[in-house]
Amino acid sequence: MTSEDVIPTLELREVSIRFRSQPVDLIDRVSLSIRPGRTLALVGESGCGKSVTSLATMGLLPRKAATVTHGQVLFRGENLIDKTTTQMEALRGNRMAMIFQEPMTSLNPVFTIGDQVAEAVRRHRNCTKAEARARALEMFELVRMPAAAKRLDDYPHQLSGGMRQRVMIAMALANDPELLIADEPTTALDVTIQAQILELMRDLLKETGAAMLMITHDLGVVAEIADDVAVMYAGRVVESGPVDAIFNDPQHPYTLGLMGSMPALAGRVQGASRLMTIPGSVPVPEAMPPGCRFATRCPFVSSECDAARPSEREVVPGHRVACIKAPLETHFAQGAA
Amino acid sequence: MSDVILSTHELHKRFTSSRGVLGAPSHIYAVNGVSLSIRRGETFAIVGESGCGKSTLARLLLRLLDPSEGQVIYEGQDLTALPAAEMRKLRAQMQFIFQDPFSSLNPRMTVESIVGEPLLVHGTLTRKERREKVADLLRKVGLRPDHADRFPHEFSGGQRQRICVARALASGPKLLIGDEPVSALDVSVQAQIVNLLEDLKEDFGLTLIIIAHDLSVIRHMADRVAVMYLGEVVELAATEALYTTPRHPYTRALLTAIPVPMPGARGQIAPLGGDIPSPANPPEGCKFHTRCPYATEICKTTRPVLENAEAHQTACHHWRNLPPLGTDAAVTAPRSAATEARFALYRDAASKAAGHSK
Repeated sequence: MTSEDVIPTLELREVSIRFRSQPVDLIDRVSLSIRPGRTLALVGESGCGKSVTSLATMGLLPRKAATVTHGQVLFRGENLIDKTTTQMEALRGNRMAMIFQEPMTSLNPVFTIGDQVAEAVRRHRNCTKAEARARALEMFELVRMPAAAKRLDDYPHQLSGGMRQRVMIAMALANDPELLIADEPTTALDVTIQAQILELMRDLLKETGAAMLMITHDLGVVAEIADDVAVMYAGRVVESGPVDAIFNDPQHPYTLGLMGSMPALAGRVQGASRLMTIPGSVPVPEAMPPGCRFATRCPFVSSECDAARPSEREVVPGHRVACIKAPLETHFAQGAA
Repeated sequence: MSDVILSTHELHKRFTSSRGVLGAPSHIYAVNGVSLSIRRGETFAIVGESGCGKSTLARLLLRLLDPSEGQVIYEGQDLTALPAAEMRKLRAQMQFIFQDPFSSLNPRMTVESIVGEPLLVHGTLTRKERREKVADLLRKVGLRPDHADRFPHEFSGGQRQRICVARALASGPKLLIGDEPVSALDVSVQAQIVNLLEDLKEDFGLTLIIIAHDLSVIRHMADRVAVMYLGEVVELAATEALYTTPRHPYTRALLTAIPVPMPGARGQIAPLGGDIPSPANPPEGCKFHTRCPYATEICKTTRPVLENAEAHQTACHHWRNLPPLGTDAAVTAPRSAATEARFALYRDAASKAAGHSK
């Protein structure tokens, strides 16, 4: 079965988004594709546009402040850009659901967690209160909440961070969504709790067959959970491909810089005593470089990089990179002056 | 001069909260009998998950908080017995870097007045000398002297943390404590600050105490590591020893929980179950027994003390009988040849680019 045979659960085709009063498209022709049952990790640092991309997919960007200037967001082949607010509301929390980073602020402090999950069910299903509550209990058991029946009547403040994130996952999965969007779902959690939640998410995706768009800055989390990876920088996808290709054959200078600055990949034990760094910081929209947006921080930069946006090239089938100097070894020799 | 710059003896900190008018006051046991010795010139790390008391301990070390019991000895002086005025003088030698560079800089002060304030408080410099010193400090932390007249909001997170570092260095400290100094920053910027701290430590002959929850950053920076759980130090060892042969079940769980940035590098591991118990109502005996896979009856009743365990110090009744871990507990990701080669190219190009700009 090739990728052309299946309709992707989610496909972004050259999506551009511009915020009012900004001179350039913040998101610039981003294309992504997630097939059913697969997990795509969208990786990048803060300000690279990963959260804006996911909010746009869900139709959650404020319509007055941000406009999609180009492209299509296709959910099972249907373009979401043309949908009305009401149509999007029917989809959200139902066929597509979202998990946010901070579980405390995403739960309503004055309702019990059982009521909140039941409400998510009743919002999209024609069922009685008792049925919704039964579904909530079923979901709590699915996310392995200890003493689930007792927990239904707890308020969010009575739960730990990890438990709250389980509630968020239970709520997101309550209506059997085809697509789950998770925005840094474990970033606020401690490392032993993060391990629990990642394992849970992996198991649940396998059980439900849902596709997931996972937004994260942590390459460790990516390696744990993703099938495919898209690396974003300043509103563009600079490199994308299967997870093994990205980690074993990283092509884009930004991907390299990101990996090299992770201590786990460049520990003292492995010889290099200093971490690799990416100098400077992400450019602001007012000072976006004309060609490649990474040009201001790239150690391999030359005048050609500013001439035009580098086109995406496929280095091996499925592994694409947007850098005119890739593969780097054909342009640079180690130690050469 | 003694080899130890700072030590603590049986340090305790309890916070009391009253529950309304009639309720009995409840205690939060944040730090419970911690005894440590920090050696001159080392980088000492204190790690643990949220609620383990690491930030409270850091504040106790500089007496930003007063302990409920116990002592903090700095260069032979008991800080807990020192009058406020003396303590203030001593603070020039011990400085703190906070986690959040957004809330720890006054938005209405210019960089010059922020970095210059410790000089004003602790020093006797004239205005002109102070300005020169600030310019010098800014250069040392990788900022430009003309940044001095700007305000904090004009800087990115990484640059703000550099300002915090410059301010901490201004009074000429011997000891620098960083409470999660890089965890609010992006990965690539984290690396810049880690490198900066390592350079400055050399240049200024500092002793560094780093509080962190990110174990991979610690492995890169620290000489010795203390692992805390619910207010107690459960294991203390030299960094490599701790990472390769952890002796405490909690340390093991913590290390194996770190996601490895290489697909498939970490085998299937069973994550630690349960949550950290509330510090207001900690379990009896070994505090870890509620989550420990090796817990037995003795763990529920008797608190283990920190004892010597083959170059480690560990507080576990069963450290001798733990099953072998196989390989390195914290798996380091093996890199492919292609990645290795491109990393080398990147380093080459980066050092050349840095050379050009200088």
